[in-house]
Amino acid sequence: MTPLTPETVEFTGARGGAAPLTWGQRMIWGSTRWLDDGDPYFNLSWTLPVAGAVDLPAVLRAVRRLIERHETLRTAYVETAEGVVQRVARAGRLTVGVYETGSRPMSAAKTLAADLAATAFDYAGELPVRCAVVVTGGRPRAVALALSHLAVDGWSLNLIATEWPRLLAGDDLPAPARQPLDQAAYESGDEAAARSARAVRHWRAGLARAPRTMFDLPEREPEKPRFVRFGMRSLAAAVAAETLAARCSATTASVLTVASAALLAAVTGHRTAALQLIVSNRHDPRVRDMAGPAALDGLFVLDLAGGTFADAVRRGHGQAMAAYRNGHYDLSAVDAVRAEAARERGADLDLDAFFNDVRPDGRWPDLPPVDRDDPGELTALRERTRTFFDGGYPRVKAHAFFATGPASATCEFFVLVDTAFLPGEAAERMLLGLEALLVRAVAEEVPVDRVAEVCGLAPVPRPAGWTRAGDDWIDNTER
Amino acid sequence: MLRERLAELVSRASGGELAAADVLVSDRSLPALGVTSLVYLRLIDAIEVEFGCDVDLDGPFLDTLDGLAGHLADRLALADEGAPGGRAGDR
Repeated sequence: MTPLTPETVEFTGARGGAAPLTWGQRMIWGSTRWLDDGDPYFNLSWTLPVAGAVDLPAVLRAVRRLIERHETLRTAYVETAEGVVQRVARAGRLTVGVYETGSRPMSAAKTLAADLAATAFDYAGELPVRCAVVVTGGRPRAVALALSHLAVDGWSLNLIATEWPRLLAGDDLPAPARQPLDQAAYESGDEAAARSARAVRHWRAGLARAPRTMFDLPEREPEKPRFVRFGMRSLAAAVAAETLAARCSATTASVLTVASAALLAAVTGHRTAALQLIVSNRHDPRVRDMAGPAALDGLFVLDLAGGTFADAVRRGHGQAMAAYRNGHYDLSAVDAVRAEAARERGADLDLDAFFNDVRPDGRWPDLPPVDRDDPGELTALRERTRTFFDGGYPRVKAHAFFATGPASATCEFFVLVDTAFLPGEAAERMLLGLEALLVRAVAEEVPVDRVAEVCGLAPVPRPAGWTRAGDDWIDNTER
Repeated sequence: MLRERLAELVSRASGGELAAADVLVSDRSLPALGVTSLVYLRLIDAIEVEFGCDVDLDGPFLDTLDGLAGHLADRLALADEGAPGGRAGDR
């Protein structure tokens, strides 16, 4: 890759302005505060293809229009005496690197994007986007982007990817119905206050049922790096999840959520599972075309004391829907409820187990045709399942994190574990356990108290002196 | 009437992917028809706006159009009697 002369994109949007952070921005802001300064963990790298005979000025024009139409791409986050403020610049400039590559422009763009994302953003002083263009023989082939998570979430990235070809073609796009400045205004109004109040009631009721933590386990020497993530691609899991979803009148998202909860409960020896679901908060049509972070955490608490896995899916589906419905709230109000619950329980509540379904429409639209009535088919499909090490991280705000991947033709699934509580290889075993559970539940009713056995997962042993109080484990040897 | 109107709301929540007429005549569950979590949430919001009442998400009636219609009819009757609607939307 050879660097050419960088270009400058000068942009002038329809307006500038300042407002308090939206609830979604505040969520990410809080997470970035939790990291060490300069840690680029929350940066996102993204690439966009440039198809057809489009010249460099046209690509730069599309980049300009992208920044002009989405205020989040020209927003700084400034700490003031009144708290953090989002400040939208009406006009400004962005330096765009240009790189010549002989071949494989998309993979060159991926490398560039990762490089651009490797340095933390100066939230107050820098645009939350960095950009470079990859050209081959003078013709633009791809655009590399690095974005601050304060500026975009996964939904926003998909939105940008959808708009990109039309921006390149010079099409007129309608202005987004709502920008983060408008969202902040909406969130200070009555309708949002009512939603937030409903969410607070949901959290209060859920916290009363949640175990104090899922990780009341004997401490272990953490591995290095401490957080380990494994991935799996399993057609068998996808087909089984679809079959179970149809049978239980639920969605595949709910099937995977309940399976994750059941696995975690089985491994940690709990009869109730608490997970935080990442809620995209995009079902409201008014925010569908808003670029900016909107996701918050929803509380999902599932009773797994008895019955079958299918029963748990039926119950869990309603619980998951309620968690998603109650995912748009004023963070400080929910923080207060969490503090109140901690006081009542006399212990901090640790909810650091998460589930995230990143599929844009909650489906696998491109699954290959499979004979679903043939019981041998699923077993055959399992032989094609692959697991892989996905990454190690020094610091993550989670003890366990379950997530789908964006693949549309197979079930891509990831499990991250905190090795201070669970061995790193448990992540891989949980992936295969998830598949085993789903496949078995298609063939026969699986009682929830047999999930560990079906998944081939041994519960973490607790030494003598540990006793159960309700659904909490207590280490009496410390007393 | 309620059933017909709900079928229209399902169709609209699906972005037109599901036809109201198909939803009305089908004996399959809503998820089997292709109602994803996102579509559900849009539907529940639409019901709240149109009928001014919240759907209790913690029950089996979410599955089918008839279940939903029955639940909603109960809710509306309760509201008409001026009886307390319970902790709607709490769970």
